[in-house]
Amino acid sequence: MPSVATEPAKVPAPAPDLSVTVGKMRLSNPVLTASGTCGYADEYADFTDLSRLGAFVTKAISKTPRKGNESPRVIETRAGMLNSIGLANIGLERFLKEKIPRLERMGVPVIVNIPGWTVRDYADVAERLDQAAPIVQGLELNVSCPNVQDGLSFGTDPRRLADLVATVRRRVRRCTLIVKLSPNVADITLTARAAVEAGADGLSLVNTFSAMVVDVETARPMLANGVGGLSGPAIKPIAVYLVHRVYSQVAAKHRVPLIGMGGIQCARDALEFILAGATAVAVGTALFIDPAIPGGIIDGLTQYLIRKGKNTVREIVGTLTMPETGRAGEPVAPP
Amino acid sequence: MLHHYQNGCWTDNKPAVPPRGGPDGRGPIPPQPLATPGGSVDRYPAPRHGVGRRQNEPAAVLRGCFRGIVVTNQPLCREHYRLTLHVAAFPPSDPGQFIQILCPLAPGAADPPNAVDDGALQAKQWRLGSRPPRFTDPFLTADRPYLRRPYSIAGRRDTSTAAKAAGPRAELDIMYRVIGRATVQLEKLTPGDEVSLLGPLGHGFIRSDHLRRALLIGGGVGVPPILYLAERLASWGIAAVAFIGVQRADLLPLTLIADHPPATDHPIERPCLMEFARHGISSILTTDDGSLGIPGRVTTALRTYLLAHRQFDASSGVPELFCCGPTAMMRAVSQVAAEFSLPCQAALEQPMACGMGTCQSCVMKYRPPGALDWVYKLTCTDGPVFHTADIIWS
Repeated sequence: MPSVATEPAKVPAPAPDLSVTVGKMRLSNPVLTASGTCGYADEYADFTDLSRLGAFVTKAISKTPRKGNESPRVIETRAGMLNSIGLANIGLERFLKEKIPRLERMGVPVIVNIPGWTVRDYADVAERLDQAAPIVQGLELNVSCPNVQDGLSFGTDPRRLADLVATVRRRVRRCTLIVKLSPNVADITLTARAAVEAGADGLSLVNTFSAMVVDVETARPMLANGVGGLSGPAIKPIAVYLVHRVYSQVAAKHRVPLIGMGGIQCARDALEFILAGATAVAVGTALFIDPAIPGGIIDGLTQYLIRKGKNTVREIVGTLTMPETGRAGEPVAPP
Repeated sequence: MLHHYQNGCWTDNKPAVPPRGGPDGRGPIPPQPLATPGGSVDRYPAPRHGVGRRQNEPAAVLRGCFRGIVVTNQPLCREHYRLTLHVAAFPPSDPGQFIQILCPLAPGAADPPNAVDDGALQAKQWRLGSRPPRFTDPFLTADRPYLRRPYSIAGRRDTSTAAKAAGPRAELDIMYRVIGRATVQLEKLTPGDEVSLLGPLGHGFIRSDHLRRALLIGGGVGVPPILYLAERLASWGIAAVAFIGVQRADLLPLTLIADHPPATDHPIERPCLMEFARHGISSILTTDDGSLGIPGRVTTALRTYLLAHRQFDASSGVPELFCCGPTAMMRAVSQVAAEFSLPCQAALEQPMACGMGTCQSCVMKYRPPGALDWVYKLTCTDGPVFHTADIIWS
């Protein structure tokens, strides 16, 4: 251990500024939770101090309560897991009555994730939250659920997505409107552009990847629902790539902030997303293992910025240098 | 070899300071009140320096993330082990509660710590120019666990307050059977190794005001919480009989007492199992293949026993049933309980990711008393102990 006395006296550098802006939200740092991995916040109260978060993202809140899918709902995979919870939640009114007071006491900006099966589902919940709960500063539209009217997902059809975002946009006055993009599309820039042009203040990406695990003994899928969404470190490199692609093709041009997520477990993971173009990052599945991970990431980001001589985290967003052989955001051909 | 879990990452560097903790760096962060302060008011009073909590006094809910140091990792029988962990300042716990253990990983296969250091860490990472990974490399083939695994607390010993300088310490026992990728990792633990654990989680067995006599039913890997309950019942002076069912003689994770062989014909309790006999509890042992004790299912023995003791029950109070084991066994126990109109509690097991109530994966169908419709309850935070009359078995 180096002796402090023999070191030349140093003027302590001011701590780097971790604050970021996402739409109208000013966040003290860029580390968020990912929807569905942190409940309504009270579950983790004994294990970690969530008030350090930049913002807290709730579980999906639907207009009416939902029981969710049959068990088993979760299956572990190599470096990740599959889930098919079925958006189980207590419903909008109970959320407002029971959970909002607690979230207000936490003192962290809250982003509410909203699922829907019709355009009206989304718009009604968004409007109610916009008017009824000042602590809710952001609304994140979960567009990966199928539309009950035609069975197609809002998140995979750019035109349908644009309609949805434009409608919700008209009903929301105060909150920052974020669209959580599905990665289960051929070209994510099409849905990203549609959302941004229809009025989204920010994009979060990526949601889980549709996936399946098969029990070879019974020749049936392991999940009761058959298919589920893959999350965890297994998806991180794909998520980083998609963030960079959306950043370079859509977000940078429109000056729309991105919230990057997918397998983030430590500061290095978070930095990959930030350098690739994410203004903020969200920790998801890793919270199941250690709810204290966001705090560690905040500390790690600070140390990294000091070591790199940066004053703010904002100045490194999207500063990744791509090899000259590839255009920004385009895949580089293998040698 | 020590593996340390620090700030969400495994490292083989010994942490300079505990990852987090109370003012002394030992305990959990000071708890904040839960959503439902007090929780259930009729849990077993936790042993707090010998002073039990009174009936309607709310329980001080205290849980956290702890470091456990392996004391012993002892084989009990074929495939079964007892792992004893030393945990500093572990909160009071109840029989039926569980801990979530992060099964250790091979060093080097771990994620880098949050300190994004460009020195030592990068040297460990696979670099361009070095040999490309082969499909036989352990970091590609190892089917290592990603999530924590829940284990019921099988026993607990708290050091006396004499060793105050070292702070309160608990020795926690868990029992496991090596069946999957996580338990394979547990098997490798040696004394001095470190594991990360969350706990105590869930709600334990409930003690009613009427409890005078308990029948404990443990099947296979469901034995651990039954053992912990036996220990607690003994300290409360409540009479009990243990019904233990295993598949075969070589899968019995308990110690037979040579002088008192288990009954092989009729379910007559005998002090045949050391772990229960030391608490003054006699046992009835069954094996599916008849290789030890009474052949057949433990629930058949339970039913025969109850039929024979009907008369006795009338004079000495209604026995209450406490069970843990495979779902089919617990369902059968709940049927026997219903047949004899006996109160029965079961500690359920469900696959779970977090154990803290957020992942919503460990759901069970629950019908509240008197209600027509069922609701999903979380095994991890609403349970794992439920009254069997409220459970809808699927």
